[in-house]
Amino acid sequence: MNKLILGRYIPGNSIIHHMDPRAKLISSFYFIGIIFLCNNWQSYLGMFLFTMLVIFLSKVKVGFFIKGVRPLIWLILFTVTLQILFTSGGTVYFHWGIISITEFGLTNGIFIFCRFVLIIFMSTLLTLTTPPLALSDAIESILRPLAVIHFPAHEVSLMLSIALRFVPTLMDETEKIMNAQRARGVDFSEGSLIQKMKAVIPLLIPLFVSSFNRAEELATAMEARGYQGGVGRTKYRVLSWQFTDTLALVCMGVLTLILVYLRA
Amino acid sequence: MNTKNRAFRITIRAILTAIIMVQSMTPFLGYIPLGIVNLTIIHITVIVAAITLGTRDGLFVGLIWGLGTLVRAWTAPTSPLDSLVFTNPLVSVVPRILVGLVAGFIFNFFYRRSKNIPFSALASAICGTLTNTVLVLSAMGLLYSNDVARLNGVDTSVLFKTLALIAATNGIPEIIGAAVLTPLIVLAIFRATRLTPDHI
Repeated sequence: MNKLILGRYIPGNSIIHHMDPRAKLISSFYFIGIIFLCNNWQSYLGMFLFTMLVIFLSKVKVGFFIKGVRPLIWLILFTVTLQILFTSGGTVYFHWGIISITEFGLTNGIFIFCRFVLIIFMSTLLTLTTPPLALSDAIESILRPLAVIHFPAHEVSLMLSIALRFVPTLMDETEKIMNAQRARGVDFSEGSLIQKMKAVIPLLIPLFVSSFNRAEELATAMEARGYQGGVGRTKYRVLSWQFTDTLALVCMGVLTLILVYLRA
Repeated sequence: MNTKNRAFRITIRAILTAIIMVQSMTPFLGYIPLGIVNLTIIHITVIVAAITLGTRDGLFVGLIWGLGTLVRAWTAPTSPLDSLVFTNPLVSVVPRILVGLVAGFIFNFFYRRSKNIPFSALASAICGTLTNTVLVLSAMGLLYSNDVARLNGVDTSVLFKTLALIAATNGIPEIIGAAVLTPLIVLAIFRATRLTPDHI
């Protein structure tokens, strides 16, 4: 059950770990945005070097990133192969029936591969160096200006924190329900489609009912502790924006300029 | 709305979000593995939310499902459909939001007239799932049909027809699954919690 993207946080002591979660969140999204500007190998190389630099700064072992990509590599390769085989344009290297390997197809495929790997590296870096609760604090802080248009930033962040808190609990509960049904003779792995669907019923109903009751109890608990919504609520951990955070955003700006210069 | 209800809105949405997160990772809870492709049953969560809590919460849970699909397609794709089709927010997010909207609307429409929960839930489940399948397919058709695809230099004739076929063949068991499961779950929730179908 360790495939969860969120909650793989590895404590550490590096510049990246100490950055403000808001800066990290904004930079990661910005990185994913500008990666679409890349359209030749020079720009992809630039992005790759930048990613490597950030990974080096984070002092997280490269192995973690490789491990993150490894289960996906076959699927990405499959996607790339499809792109290579079915994209037309440019010099044709090989042609057979509906399949043709062309210049455009090949470059397109390689670029898509790089884009996927870089995006996965960046999102892995974000979740490896930032605790999930810090991320939800960051989201609240970033969304706060939207209160002008009555966007409930506080509630969204609270929801996210509760959801993240309950993911492991729900997983345990699912495991328990599954084992309980197995003890009663339900077989989850065998049988036709209809039988498999029938096996899902005794799994989903207890899960839903217990979740609804849990939400009810949680609401009562919040009420009992005087939950009044976000107005006037203070925080135990206050986010502080520091010089390195501004520097990080400046770096992203410089990276954009380099990209614009490098791209064809 | 009093504070109790307000807190309940937050906690129930949070826990439904958690359920969707767990569902997209656990076999049998969120999808039924069928060899190459997986049959999703996450839409059932969205439809159940739309029926038991109201259309607005259905919309919200649908949005979460859509965002989840989008994020997963970019960061941890599990099938060719993920990495080729769902990377576009128009295909992954918009149809999912509308599932919640349609499911809630259809349930209210039938429940007001018939006062029959299983029947209304059945209708809502079928329409909700159909919304998803039809919209995903038409979005694929729209975005990857000849003109747009030619701009991107992708030859769609074979590849996307195959993908569309997969999505369409998945649609049928998805509808059957939702039609069977939704009324049962909805009845159980109405019986075991303080929620009633007259929430509007």
